[in-house]
Amino acid sequence: MTQGDVQRFERVVLPHLDDAYTLARYLLRDEHDAQDAVQEAALRAFRYFDGYSGGDARAWLLAIVRNCALNSRRRNRVEEQTVSFTDAIDVSADGVPGADAVAIQASERARVNRAVNELPVEFREVVVLRELQDLSYKEIGDVLGVPIGTVMSRLARARRRLATLLGADVREAS
Amino acid sequence: MPIDTHCARYRDSLDARLDGELLPDESRDLDNHLATCASCAREYATLTDTHRLVSENLMRYAAPDVLKARIRGALSETAARATPKHIRTPWWRLAAAGVVIAMASSALTFATLGRSAGSNVTDELLASHVRSLQPGHLTDVVSTNQHNVKPWFNGRVDVSPSVPNLDSLGFPLVGGRTDYVGGRAVPVTVYARRQHMINVYAWPSGDEGDARPRESTRNGYHFVEWRSAGLEYRAVSDLNPKELDQFVAAFSNAR
Repeated sequence: MTQGDVQRFERVVLPHLDDAYTLARYLLRDEHDAQDAVQEAALRAFRYFDGYSGGDARAWLLAIVRNCALNSRRRNRVEEQTVSFTDAIDVSADGVPGADAVAIQASERARVNRAVNELPVEFREVVVLRELQDLSYKEIGDVLGVPIGTVMSRLARARRRLATLLGADVREAS
Repeated sequence: MPIDTHCARYRDSLDARLDGELLPDESRDLDNHLATCASCAREYATLTDTHRLVSENLMRYAAPDVLKARIRGALSETAARATPKHIRTPWWRLAAAGVVIAMASSALTFATLGRSAGSNVTDELLASHVRSLQPGHLTDVVSTNQHNVKPWFNGRVDVSPSVPNLDSLGFPLVGGRTDYVGGRAVPVTVYARRQHMINVYAWPSGDEGDARPRESTRNGYHFVEWRSAGLEYRAVSDLNPKELDQFVAAFSNAR
């Protein structure tokens, strides 16, 4: 590999580093572990860059990041300790008289992030890939290494769980 | 209320409709059903709201500059290491390697011949620092987490150096390694500042009491020495003296 390879890699793959880091943050829920996983993934991606056929570079990188993050979880024997969602909500927008829009927005953000972080990891990853990173079902299937049908059923179950967790704020359908 | 089988067929495609994954006639068929079935329409509205709430509020994270710098550094290391397999080593690379070997061996000669401390150690540190910048020599353990690096030294060296987290001050931890200085294995902690690497060496001090940082320069590299909690520390870098001082101040103040 030459400096030319490095430059091509930097041009094609490194623009997706924010997405890679975001996925790792949600999978590992720790900034240091996420950084280590993304660094490992980037180096691995570089080593396999010859085998990259020129398809969707983002999905390709995200698949490697996911593998590194899941390995890291296994190494650290991450146990899903979940904070009880109701306990975790400390601010209720309704309970603050005259709360300004910023505060409501901030508490909304906190509520949604807590709810997503509380999902089991196989639901959390489809939510991040779909709702945040806007990947198609096909791309999500490629990243997770599962058929599209599995993507659909996981996403459907994840959304219904989120709907329940966030229920208070989902407006009643008229 | 139980969903009749007619509805059940549509319930499975609500997410796909929302995500634009249905074919045009599948979409039309579903929309016609939603227009006439209040129960399915309510379910679809709930899904739409959840989707909107989550996609608008879920946090995106930006990869920290530190991480980008570490990746770029590691990439060029990997590329440099792989180079000889593919292309002939250019003459200047051989020349550079020669310089390093000459420096390393002269450090060795100094160390074995003269025992008048001080400058020998500086020579050894300089050689170690230069060697560490060669591909693959910088770190034996790569981690931004001080809680990984500090325990890694246990059992490898007989001192336990301070490994503060200086991320927020712009000096990310890169990792650690062990090296030989003054005839003993010493822990080396590696920090970065932009593209510059800072090697921090530590070994037991013969003197009690702390000593304030003292700077020196050799061959364009900057050295800072200080003593803290019974350990001698040496920081070596090509970083400018001002920022290296900042680093040492932050390092020795962190507890």
